[in-house]
Amino acid sequence: MTATAIPTTATWAGAQPHVVVIGAGIAGLTAALRLRQAGARVTQITKGIGGIQLGQGSIDILGYAPDRVERPLDAIAGFAAANPAHPYAKIGADAVRAGVSFLKDAAGEDLAGGDAEQNVNLPTAVGAVRPTALVPASMAAGALHDGMKLVIIGVAQLKDFHPMLIAQNLSRTTLPDGGHVTARAVMTDFEPRRNEYDATGLTFARSLDDPRTRRTFAEGLKGFVNEGETVGLPAILGEEDHEAAFAEISQIIGAPVFEIPALPPCVPGMRLNEKLVKAVKDARVEFILGTKVTGHTGADGRLVSVTTSVAGHRREITADAFVLAAGGFESGALKLDSHGHVSDTVLGLPVKLPEGIDEDHLVTDTYWGAPQPLFQVGVEVDDSMKVVSDGAPVYDNVYAAGGVIAGATRWQEKSGEGIALGSAVKAADAILAALPVVAATAAAPFAERN
Amino acid sequence: MGVIEETFAGHEVSRASLDNCVKCTICETVCPVAKANPLFTGPKYNGPQAERYRDGASVDHSLEWCDFCGICTLNCPQGVKIGELNEQAAAKMKAQNGVPLRDRIIPETNLEGMLLSPLAPVANWGLGIRPLRVVIEKVIKIHRDAPMPTAHTETLAKWLKHRTRTDIKPTKGPVVFFQGCAGGYFETETSKKSIEVLEHLGYEVFVPKQSCCGLAKQSNGLFKGATKDILNLCDNLLKFDNEIPVVSSSGSCIGMVKHEAHEIIGVDDPRLANVSVRSRDFCEFLMEEYRAGRLDPSEFRELDLTVPYHQPCQVKSQGMGFPAVQLMELIPGVKVVESNEPCCGMAGTYGLKAERYETAQKIGEKVFEHMQNYNEGVGVCDTETCRWQIAKSSGVKIVHPVWLLHHALGLSDNLLS
Repeated sequence: MTATAIPTTATWAGAQPHVVVIGAGIAGLTAALRLRQAGARVTQITKGIGGIQLGQGSIDILGYAPDRVERPLDAIAGFAAANPAHPYAKIGADAVRAGVSFLKDAAGEDLAGGDAEQNVNLPTAVGAVRPTALVPASMAAGALHDGMKLVIIGVAQLKDFHPMLIAQNLSRTTLPDGGHVTARAVMTDFEPRRNEYDATGLTFARSLDDPRTRRTFAEGLKGFVNEGETVGLPAILGEEDHEAAFAEISQIIGAPVFEIPALPPCVPGMRLNEKLVKAVKDARVEFILGTKVTGHTGADGRLVSVTTSVAGHRREITADAFVLAAGGFESGALKLDSHGHVSDTVLGLPVKLPEGIDEDHLVTDTYWGAPQPLFQVGVEVDDSMKVVSDGAPVYDNVYAAGGVIAGATRWQEKSGEGIALGSAVKAADAILAALPVVAATAAAPFAERN
Repeated sequence: MGVIEETFAGHEVSRASLDNCVKCTICETVCPVAKANPLFTGPKYNGPQAERYRDGASVDHSLEWCDFCGICTLNCPQGVKIGELNEQAAAKMKAQNGVPLRDRIIPETNLEGMLLSPLAPVANWGLGIRPLRVVIEKVIKIHRDAPMPTAHTETLAKWLKHRTRTDIKPTKGPVVFFQGCAGGYFETETSKKSIEVLEHLGYEVFVPKQSCCGLAKQSNGLFKGATKDILNLCDNLLKFDNEIPVVSSSGSCIGMVKHEAHEIIGVDDPRLANVSVRSRDFCEFLMEEYRAGRLDPSEFRELDLTVPYHQPCQVKSQGMGFPAVQLMELIPGVKVVESNEPCCGMAGTYGLKAERYETAQKIGEKVFEHMQNYNEGVGVCDTETCRWQIAKSSGVKIVHPVWLLHHALGLSDNLLS
């Protein structure tokens, strides 16, 4: 055989993992990759695909505190001081910065662009203005500013994207800095596959992976764009071959082009998810998809093992440390029963209710009022992301990252990815500090082979 | 309708999961069929959405495009039994509308092996003749270009009788080797290597009388026949023993035993429960042994080789990660490049069918390219029909992971023979 094989680094398949990471959203993937890159053997268990691909592909850190935030990393300290029960009070701005830079290395500038110091304002699929911190290259031209001229182009065969709604809402909106944009809408006609109507963005993105199809598409759009306009398109500009598709379509149209993410299946989220999952697998994290944690054992204040339900039997996995990164209610990691009792369905860790709220008052009946207390329920952590209850560790080796941590209303604050990245980095680093892992056992990255 | 109702307890379990669906579309994004063919409306519509309206057979025939790879269930974060619902609904549809002759013939894998093996040279010659394949396509609708297995006059049973046994004394426990129909009649080489590797590593290997697991019948909607087959297999294995591990290098057949018979057909029988909990995929078994400290990788000699690898859908669905990748990379010098693709298009027998052939080839396109791009003479895949499909469509020799182990243990001089 030839000599092109990369020297093997079989260290990943050692006897037992050092760390088990549960969940594969942005928190779980970040924690697993960071631990693995530092030399730990990592087993990652996930029931299904994580939440990244249901998001918009951009990275929020802090959008509202509660007023609109301009510089999210700088704002964390003040926000945390005003909200001592918030995860950011434990995570701190430095860990979020470290998380952002780790993600940028893993995902690349193309999928996670910008430096996150300054929020940018992007148009949403209903023409609202959302602040976010890291932006894929394909959305960068959509950063709204005073005097901007926009043309929003839709495709009749694409479901859930309405250019007139977007353009008219943008036109009547005052930007955070007081400026205004002008926007007009165009609806075009393009079949992603022959005779296909009401197709998803993913079907379109896959059809635009094909160079001939995307040239036809872009040539057709060119005529609709006036001098000086920035072109807003649905987020369909290629999936597997996105980089080339975006470059070529922009070049043919001959004006700044940006993508607007809409409902799932949301292609920008998919791109980021696929990139990170592949990075984790290439780094030889033992990635186990389609498996639930169904039990656990503990002894002497430590979690000893988790049990997973493999087809036909159970597998018990022992490890030195465990990271719970399975998300909150939306993934089923937290559950509310009909008696108002909230529980962690994965490891049965105690959950913390918001200060002064009991189980009978987790949901209020004012729909448009203050945030529902229920959504702040989660597990409590200390400064190292170790799960605690009443100030004491529940287990000495169980950490939490991401949406399961108590105290945030993430979508309202637009803080979800920032919390996930910061807590993943903190948990990983705390575990590494306590592990007998030396950097010399770290695997060489395999990414270039694939 | 008796065909279905007698053995359909599993359907209620799957139905109970459909309310967990949050319509997130993750299943749609991973479905290989919807990607390849717009006529399939996708797992979400056909699964949890359509199921609410089904009472008896489905009126929506787009379900016929589903290849039952189970990738939807595997990736669903909410635990919805999407693939199971669809396979059950398709079986109902078939029970009501009639099963084509072809779909009754293909699953008779044991019978085919028994009939073809004595006639191997003639059978192989016949299946290689284009005009004959065209006739087969016209009459029973098996595509003329679909990969066909190679029959051997020496079945595994014959080999076991006549082989010269190694003189290695067993130092580890006993295991039962479950060969599967293909492993018994068509890809006997993989079974032989598996037995030799296990014996070399110190296991005492038993190959008791066994029979078909019924997987092909199940995926063709013949649930009654599949139930009979799986329980017959359990009876055969239980006659021998009811405790020791059952190990198989037929990656999909062992999945049938482990979970598909129970979860898809709804077979709820103590005999199956006994066999399924001690069933292990070949690589899964050896990785368990490795983790338990009973497999010493220093026994492997160096093999400077990069291999492209595709994990079949029916192995993925067993929820055990990538034991084949782990095991192969225990061999010094071996680097595995995984396909990151859901399915090769064969999905058991789907890719053989004349009306599915084109879609199946499109589904597998990226897998074939992967094998072509990364191979240094050989690619790896865990299941028989997938290997036949990938080898035929990519032109790359495709083997089971055990071939690498066999070579690394010095049991074969040439990796590829």
